[in-house]
Amino acid sequence: MNILIYGLITGILFGFLLQKGRVLRYDKQLGALRLIDMTIVKFMGCTILVGMVGIYLLSDLGMVKLSIKATNLGGNIIGGLMFGLGWGLLGYCPGTSMGALGEGRWDAGWGILGMLAGAAVYAEVYPVMKKTVLTWGNFGSLTVPSVLNINHWVVVAAFILAGIFLFVWFEKKNL
Amino acid sequence: MNSNDKGWNPYLAGALTGVVIVMSVWITGKYAGASTSFVRSAGMIEKIFSAEHVAKLEYFSKASPIIEWQWMFVVGILIGSLISSVTSGSFKIQAIPSMWGNKFGLSIGKRAGTAFTGGLVALFGARLAGG
Repeated sequence: MNILIYGLITGILFGFLLQKGRVLRYDKQLGALRLIDMTIVKFMGCTILVGMVGIYLLSDLGMVKLSIKATNLGGNIIGGLMFGLGWGLLGYCPGTSMGALGEGRWDAGWGILGMLAGAAVYAEVYPVMKKTVLTWGNFGSLTVPSVLNINHWVVVAAFILAGIFLFVWFEKKNL
Repeated sequence: MNSNDKGWNPYLAGALTGVVIVMSVWITGKYAGASTSFVRSAGMIEKIFSAEHVAKLEYFSKASPIIEWQWMFVVGILIGSLISSVTSGSFKIQAIPSMWGNKFGLSIGKRAGTAFTGGLVALFGARLAGG
């Protein structure tokens, strides 16, 4: 029971901050995809950088376990292309569609229904996917530090540096 | 800071979101995600019509139709956004986003069809990619 309450509270804080950052809106999401408004990239970039430092710190202290998704080129590439295409049509991703509905943008509701349908279709064809696409290019749980065989803090530092350069450039270009 | 439609600085709001995610992993060991919950919900809806069919599908044993941490997280996103928008005066009932309206007009049917199709393709892709 407790774990459900934690999930709800985490979601409320998450949705609250997404709304404050104004990243839930169709115009913002399409703005990022059309490379004319980088608000979402700024928001996500900071979330990732802070998350990266926090999670690796806790992991080094032995307080959390990393959860590394397996690399599967077939699924990652084809699924990623499909996700991008669908995202561009809908203008909300699965999490933000719920947030967009929360701030009154109810066209997100069509997307939520579509996503439920997409999930149902995927459940039907999963056995086929498992025998085809999901067998293409399986590399198991890879991370950038493990592939490069260097300490993860070097990678974290490089990402932070790249992030700062990107953010400075966005501000210069008024994106 | 929160009484206009400008919102917060996206860098700040994004960084705070990072803190929320780290705290959540620390306290509960759960990493944030959303798309699995759509599979669980689809299973719950299908169960109303045919429980045997749902029981037969392998994918619903990987993501069984139950309410767990992530499902509550996804519901929380809606509530959090509702609280933030209502208390800051930025809640707005809107059927057609402005950018969409300027380009494709105000037809609700056209927006509904595109949004539904987009959602279907996006979620299928997300599950295929493992995200």
